[in-house]
Amino acid sequence: MAEPHHHVIIGSGSAGFGAAKTLREGDPDCRITMFTMDAIPFYHRYRLPEVFRGRTDWRDLLAKPPSFYEENGITLRRRCRVVDVDGSAHVVSLAHQETVPFDSLLVAAGGRAYLPENLSGHAHLIHGFGSFEAAMRVYNDLPRGGRVVMIGGDMIGLDLLLTLLDTGYRVTLIVNAQTFWPHELTAEQRAPLLEALRGKGVDVIENARAVGISPQNGGAPARRVALDDGREIEGDVVMAFCGLATSVEFMLRAEVDIERGLLVSPELQTTNDAIWAAGDICQIWHDGEKAYKFYHGWKNVRVMGQLAARNILGAHEPFDVDVEDRIWVDEDGEIQSTFWTRKP
Amino acid sequence: MNKSGTDIQFAICGSAGDGTIASGDIMKRAAAAMGFHVIAFDVYPPEIRGFGKCISRIRISSEQAYSLKEQSDVFVSLNDGHAIPHVGEVRDYGAVIYDDHLIAPVAEGGHISAHIRPAQIPYGLPIRQISEQATNAARSRNIVVLGYVAGLLDLPAEAFRKVIAQKFASKPAVVTESNIRAFDAGLEAGRGVFRYDDVAVGAAPTAADGEAVMMTGNGAIVRGFLEGGIQSYFGYPITPATSIMERLAVELPKAGGRFLQTEDEIAAISATIGAGFAGSRAATATSGPGLALMTEMMGLGVMAEVPAVVVCSQRGGPSTGLPTKTEQSDLNLAVHGGSGDAPRIVIAPTNVEGCYRCAGMAFEIAEKYQVPVVLLIDLYLSNRYETVFPSDKNVFAPKPREVPKVKEGEDYKRFVLTEDGISPRALPGDAGMMYTATGLEHNELGKPSDVLHMEMNAKRHHKLKSAVNYPGLTTSKRFGDMGKVDVGILGWGSTFGEILETMFEAQAEGISCSAMKVVMLSPLPEGELRAFFDDCKVVLVPELNYQGQFANLVSGAIGRPVVRLNRTIATPMPVAEILSEVRRLAAEVNEPVAAAAGGV
Ligand SMILES: Cc1cc2nc3c(=O)[nH]c(=O)nc-3n(C[C@H](O)[C@H](O)[C@H](O)COP(=O)(O)OP(=O)(O)OC[C@H]3O[C@@H](n4cnc5c(N)ncnc54)[C@H](O)[C@@H]3O)c2cc1C
Repeated sequence: MAEPHHHVIIGSGSAGFGAAKTLREGDPDCRITMFTMDAIPFYHRYRLPEVFRGRTDWRDLLAKPPSFYEENGITLRRRCRVVDVDGSAHVVSLAHQETVPFDSLLVAAGGRAYLPENLSGHAHLIHGFGSFEAAMRVYNDLPRGGRVVMIGGDMIGLDLLLTLLDTGYRVTLIVNAQTFWPHELTAEQRAPLLEALRGKGVDVIENARAVGISPQNGGAPARRVALDDGREIEGDVVMAFCGLATSVEFMLRAEVDIERGLLVSPELQTTNDAIWAAGDICQIWHDGEKAYKFYHGWKNVRVMGQLAARNILGAHEPFDVDVEDRIWVDEDGEIQSTFWTRKP
Repeated sequence: MNKSGTDIQFAICGSAGDGTIASGDIMKRAAAAMGFHVIAFDVYPPEIRGFGKCISRIRISSEQAYSLKEQSDVFVSLNDGHAIPHVGEVRDYGAVIYDDHLIAPVAEGGHISAHIRPAQIPYGLPIRQISEQATNAARSRNIVVLGYVAGLLDLPAEAFRKVIAQKFASKPAVVTESNIRAFDAGLEAGRGVFRYDDVAVGAAPTAADGEAVMMTGNGAIVRGFLEGGIQSYFGYPITPATSIMERLAVELPKAGGRFLQTEDEIAAISATIGAGFAGSRAATATSGPGLALMTEMMGLGVMAEVPAVVVCSQRGGPSTGLPTKTEQSDLNLAVHGGSGDAPRIVIAPTNVEGCYRCAGMAFEIAEKYQVPVVLLIDLYLSNRYETVFPSDKNVFAPKPREVPKVKEGEDYKRFVLTEDGISPRALPGDAGMMYTATGLEHNELGKPSDVLHMEMNAKRHHKLKSAVNYPGLTTSKRFGDMGKVDVGILGWGSTFGEILETMFEAQAEGISCSAMKVVMLSPLPEGELRAFFDDCKVVLVPELNYQGQFANLVSGAIGRPVVRLNRTIATPMPVAEILSEVRRLAAEVNEPVAAAAGGV
């Protein structure tokens, strides 16, 4: 009997998970292996702010119970970092020196928080929020009612910011070009949104750039942020939400085109026939705009994962590259986004 | 058991030479020093010598536990090739710890991370690298992982450092220092890790029971022997009894006794019986194949009414069988082995503490009943570690012997027929008490004669009757629900730990259930057994042999039906299997009569 087709997925986020599920539904006999650097199965990252509402057991955040993977014949390889993809031999190499051959590969490795150049020397003083682990660190380090100094404030940060306010914490927002990323806004477009945030109690700082962060050893609050206008802002935790940098470094030998992300056709195929990409990591060709574009937010990403899986199995469906890119304040004073959906 | 408090099982798996067993040893001693109860069992390669798989499993609990758990909470791989088949034993949300920096490439599936189930929590760390950085060698990987576990679970590091220092005390100081460095490096790595597992270690119980000592079953037998006043030991090595001999070779001469390694088992038992005849507290230890060779001389002990103590640690049989795997299949041999009607006392302790107590009392019992006493254990009990709380003063110290008195002008009748069957025993050298001791049937003086064969047979059987009520010795004991119950579980030897754990689980499920251990297999405590059967709607007998040797013994003795659960799987009896049988029986005995009869 012929070996079953082996579909390998790098990433177990919304895109990777959606793809695995769709692959299994479409092909009951194939072999599916999904790699992730996480220690736990797929959970919706948009639910991470819920740790501030007392959801501190990661099991409550899982999209599916661990048994789902076994029941559906999906081999979930956690704490496995892909370090290389050989695009001609069709082999994935893992950091611990294991090699895994594939028939088709879906890269859904997402991205990690982007840190502006001038702050990279202070990374150790900045709390992340990209994983449950990181979220719990913030939760544990932030005293009740304490203050978060947020640099940038992209859509990921915005979600956290609103939860923090709602749960009795205080937030100072240092606005920069990435505020409200992935939406690209002019100063005029941004003004009403910032006003809405002020209305909710956020201390908004405009026209100043964070240039340094220092610890207050043993003292409280624990951090001091220096601004380029000479001011200093104090906070218990400093976080940077300045958009994403894609995780493409392991794809350099994969024989695929890379710009900022992996470049794919509207059918989500890369320039290598055996390799597809979906989610935050990919830039999709927009024929009208003659450009490759990112489409973030869990809904877009999940659609991409499912679509890529169907196309891997033989369909030829394009991604709707014309999804609306809009952010506004609704009549209740809430910020709404076409990319960023609150509830699944 | 342990509905609250600490109850975790740590397992470490590697290849012989990785220091797996040493690592487990440090873990169990550190846990005991912290004040926890510990049960541990090491599995060695299937060959007696070799470079195969080693696993050390250690259950650490705040309340007394009775067996190892089927699932481990924390599992460490020092060798993925060996560990992969065992990773499934880790429970959901338990921790799997492994090296995530291999030194050589492996094909798909060659790394343990490929086999960790989605509900288990992976903890990869560069074990080899950490060891090399801390000590310039990869040798201390087994100590690095101990540090990592201590850091991860927030265990008191000092307890480990002390045990490490003790362990390497006989080596140059640099060895201890480098191992402490390895431990500390692992500790730091473990402390820095975000935890996803839910393995909880609470405070250790306060040491109300006195100071805990870690012992194996074999170690406990040696300690019991020494406290019980052993004077002579004759032995021939055989797995899993050898360590008794090895320890006594060191300890017995120090205590003023005689130790001799004989050329084979026949010589060992012959010397033991000879020494017993001469009044020396003498013992030997062997396994099934050795006991088979010893049966003829045991018969002499029975016939000549000579005290002797014979330890038999069972392993898989028949013949050479499974030398490094446990089994309970020498019961027939221990109870019945040999020619003729040869009653002897067979005592089968069920745990390490029991090994200590039974060994401590064995000589006194053998002397009182003037008969060989077999201490029947098995590999699982021989090699498993438990925390034992021995009393400060020696409660087994020999009492002064009473020299028999003979009336002026009368002959000393060594085998005089008495009401309880026990005749006053003189030793060679007691003035005026010469007698003949022989394997031939004899009269009261010991002279060969067939006239009293019937009476002498009755005497030899009858004299043992009271042994079931021997003061200070638990010959049987009932646990769990008292009075009438649905299911009774009857067991012996090492399997009783699993039986007790099963009973607790069954009770927690609402099954009316009781368990009884039988420690004295010959003579059987028949009264207690009958009472137990009277109270139970059905009695299940789980044992690690194919024939149901204990079930046969009991049902033959008291004429009651039993349900058998026999396994020869080279491992201890799984609690899950006993439990499913208990569930089935509980449902069956409670089924409405009509349904049971197939009605509607
Ligand atoms: C805190 C937070 C809140 C958010 N809130 C919202 C919201 O409210 N609404 C909304 O629409 N969107 C929200 N998002 C964004 C949305 O969740 C992302 O668009 C989505 O998570 C991207 O999914 P993805 O599958 O592409 O990648 P990710 O979810 O980033 O997953 C990437 C996966 O790839 C793995 N990976 C990366 N590199 C490697 C490697 N080298 N080897 C192996 N595995 C690798 C990672 O371990 C991970 O499993 C939020 C995101 C975050 C972080």
